[in-house]
Amino acid sequence: MATISRGTSREGRVRRGLGERAMGRIFLTPSFAFMAVIALFPVFYAVVVSLYRVRGFNSEFVGLGNYAQALTDPDFYNAVLNTLVFTVASVTLEFVIGMGFALIMHQAFVGRGLTRAVILVPWVIPTAVAAQVWRYMFDHNPGFANAVLGAEINWLRDPAWSMVAIIGADVWKTAPFVALLLLAGLQTIPGDYYEAAEVDGAGPIQRFWSITLPLLRPAIVVALLFRTVDALRMFDFAYVFSGYSNSLATLSVYAQRFLIAEPRLGYANALSTLTFVVVMLVGLAFISRMGRHMVGDAAGEGER
Amino acid sequence: MTSRTERNEIARVVGRARRPRRKVPPALANALKIAGLAVVLLWCLFPFLWMAMTSLRTGADALTDPNILRGPFNLDNYRQVVDLGFHFALRNSLVVAALTTLICIPVASLAGYALARLPLAGKFLILSVTLVATLFPPVALVNPLYQMYLRIDEWTGISLLNSYAGMVIPYVALTLPLAVFILTTFFAGIPKEIEESAKVDGATPFQAFWRVVVPLAAPGVGAAAILTFVYATNEFLLAFSFAPRDLNVQTVPVFIGTFQRVGYENPIGQVMAASVLVSIPLIAFALILQRRIVAGLTSGAVKG
Repeated sequence: MATISRGTSREGRVRRGLGERAMGRIFLTPSFAFMAVIALFPVFYAVVVSLYRVRGFNSEFVGLGNYAQALTDPDFYNAVLNTLVFTVASVTLEFVIGMGFALIMHQAFVGRGLTRAVILVPWVIPTAVAAQVWRYMFDHNPGFANAVLGAEINWLRDPAWSMVAIIGADVWKTAPFVALLLLAGLQTIPGDYYEAAEVDGAGPIQRFWSITLPLLRPAIVVALLFRTVDALRMFDFAYVFSGYSNSLATLSVYAQRFLIAEPRLGYANALSTLTFVVVMLVGLAFISRMGRHMVGDAAGEGER
Repeated sequence: MTSRTERNEIARVVGRARRPRRKVPPALANALKIAGLAVVLLWCLFPFLWMAMTSLRTGADALTDPNILRGPFNLDNYRQVVDLGFHFALRNSLVVAALTTLICIPVASLAGYALARLPLAGKFLILSVTLVATLFPPVALVNPLYQMYLRIDEWTGISLLNSYAGMVIPYVALTLPLAVFILTTFFAGIPKEIEESAKVDGATPFQAFWRVVVPLAAPGVGAAAILTFVYATNEFLLAFSFAPRDLNVQTVPVFIGTFQRVGYENPIGQVMAASVLVSIPLIAFALILQRRIVAGLTSGAVKG
C-alpha cells in the first residue's frame, strides 16, 4: 500500500506547495515538541532532583538515598498497599458490574437510547465533585448510607470502611464507562454466532464463555488498561475523603504531600518517580499484549 | 434426499444433544430486560437525585435526618455558594477547559493526520509512544512544573502559579496523546480515494488536508474535543497544586473538593448546591453530545 501511494504521488507531483514528507514532519512537530518540554523534560528533572536532599536553598547529592529511604518508610508501604487494594478491588468490581450493564443494555430494545445517554452521567461529573457527594452520603450526618444499609458504620473514620467507601464511589463513577466500552465491543459480534451456537445446543452461559468473552477480548483489554492505570494514579477520591491521612493515602496522595503540603523535594520526587515507573510498567505490560492491534489499526496498517 | 428414518435419526441425535429447553416466556423476558435497564438508570441517577434533594434542604433537620424528603426546602444553599464566589469557579473551569481544547485539538489534528496519512519513518514507534504517553501520571509533573514556573517568574516576571496558563499548559500536554490517538484513528478511517482525487484535481497536499480531509474528519475532531474538554473540567491534582485558593483562577473541582476545610459548620447543603450547579451543564452537555462522546471513548476499543 505504502509503495503504491508513494509511486502515484511521485508521478502526479505538482511542483508547488509542501511536499508530503516535509508536511508530515512539520505536522508532528508541535505535538511532540510540546509533550517533550512539558511532560518528558519534567520526568528527567524529577529523576535528577530525586538524587538530592533538598533543604531550603541547599541541596546535597545523596545518590539513591531517597529511594533507600522510601524502602524503609512504613508510610510508603502503606501507600503502596492502599493503592494496590484500591486498584484490584475497584477494577475487578468495575469490570464485573460494567459487563453486567453492557449485557443488559445489549439485550434491551426499549429505552436503549435513554440508558446509553444516562450512563454518561457518572462519567461526566468531575471526580472531585463525585467524591464530595459520596463522602456526604457516607458521613454519619445525615447518615444516608447507614440508613439505606441499616448499619452503624463510621465510614469516614474507620480506615478499612473508608477504603470500602472510596472503592464504592469509584465503582459507581466508572462501571458505566466500562459498560460503554464493552457494549461497543458486544455490538461488533455477529448475531449469527449466537444463533449457530443455540442450534448446536449451547446454553446461555456456555455462549457467554465460548463466544462473548473471547470475541470481546480486545474491548476488555482496553477497558482494563484504562481502568487499571487510572486506579493506580488515583488522587481525587482519597484526598477528598481523608486529606493526607494515611488511612487512604495512595501513591499519588503520598507523593503530593511532600511535594506541596510538607515540602521535602528530594524525597517527594523519588516518590513521584516511583509512581511514574509503576504506572508506566503496568501500562506497558498491557500495551505489549494488545498494542500491535490497536496501534496498527490507528496507523491504517490493517490493509497491509 | 434423506429417507424418513434417516431424518428421524438426525432429529433424535440433535434432540439428545440439545438441552431440555425451559424457555422463558417472552412477557417475562421483557419484564426482566426492563427491570435490568431500570437498575442501570437508578445506578447512574440516584446520587444525582440525592445531591439535588440535599441541596434544597436547609435547617438542622436537613443536616441530621437521612430522609431526603424532609424539608424545609428553599434556595438558601444556592445563595450561599454564590456569595462564596462559586460562579467564579464555574467561569474559571469553563475558561481553562475551553483554552485547553482550543490549543490541544488543532495541534493534535495535525499530528493525527500526519500519522494516519503522510509518509513518515517510524510511525508504529511514534504511535506506540503516543499510546504510552496517555498513561502519564500527573503527579510526576507537580514539582518539575512548579519549579519551572518559579524560574519563569524569576526571569520574566510572569507568574504562572495561580494563573489560567499554569493549568492549561500541563492539561494540553496531558490531553495531547489521547487526542492524537483518537484523531489518527478517525483520519485513517476516511477513504484515501477522496484525497487522491483532490490531488489529481491539482490540490497541494496541504490543500487536500485542509479543504477535503478536515471537514470530513469533523466528527472525530468533535469527539476528541469533547473528551479533552471533559478531562480539563475534571482535573483536580494539578489545579489543586498550582492554583489552590485564588478565586480568580480556582476551578470547580478545587472549589468543591476542598470545601470542607473552609467552613466551621457542616457545609453539606452548600457543597451539594455547588455540585448541582456544575453537574447540570455537564450532564446536559453529555446528553446532547452523547453520540460523539461514545464514538470517541470507544474508538480503538472495538478494533483489533
